[in-house]
Amino acid sequence: MSLFSVLSVSASGMAAQRTRAELLVENIANSETTRTAEGGPYRRKDAIFSSEPVSSAFASELDAQLNGSVTGVKVAGISVDNSEPELRYMPGHPDADADGYVAMPRVNPAEDMVDLMGASRSYQANVSAMSAVKDMIQHSIDLLR
Amino acid sequence: MLDRVTDSLERYMDVLSMRQKVVASNIANADTPGFKTKDLDFQSEFASALSGSQPQASEVAGLPVKNDGNNVSLDREARLLAENAMRFNLASSLIREQIRMVKEAIQEGKSS
Repeated sequence: MSLFSVLSVSASGMAAQRTRAELLVENIANSETTRTAEGGPYRRKDAIFSSEPVSSAFASELDAQLNGSVTGVKVAGISVDNSEPELRYMPGHPDADADGYVAMPRVNPAEDMVDLMGASRSYQANVSAMSAVKDMIQHSIDLLR
Repeated sequence: MLDRVTDSLERYMDVLSMRQKVVASNIANADTPGFKTKDLDFQSEFASALSGSQPQASEVAGLPVKNDGNNVSLDREARLLAENAMRFNLASSLIREQIRMVKEAIQEGKSS
């Protein structure tokens, strides 16, 4: 029954969107962070998505025929924004340099909020796909009643 | 399984679940750069599934491409998702009716 493998396609989408949402929330939370383990201000992170064939232990002949064309999604990597930090004049700040400038993260909270909404909507779309398939599986099971 | 109609319905459900898989894959990849929408040509795939061959997914032409090279339209996929689920439910109800009829024949017309 290839319907069950559809669930793993949707699950891969949900996992990827969740990772993206986590990174976006991290960006918003750290939009004023001037100290990090790597040194310097926080740098904006974002997820890179790539499609990958879903493999299932029960992969049937039908799946093999479609191999390569039906794909799930995975987070291929996390990109870190390496652009120069934003210098803000705050002479009283403990991290200010000799001229009174503080290196602040180059994070635009508005941009991250919009991306966060996108991630949340995409997550919902995957949930809808999953519940539609769940209904189909349930109807198939009901044939046995 | 039971007769020719049930057999066709079975194939119909096979093609529908395959299409649902392609749609779910499109939705999962809605934010993947460069991903192109895929679909089954339903009519011709169903006709060839009846003769025993396997369905093939192909790329869909004519969808607007976004800046990142992705052309998944969530509206289109949502519509197909709902349409497939309804078609599948219809087919499963029809099969259920066939099974009920056979059951009734087995029980000599006595309702269980």
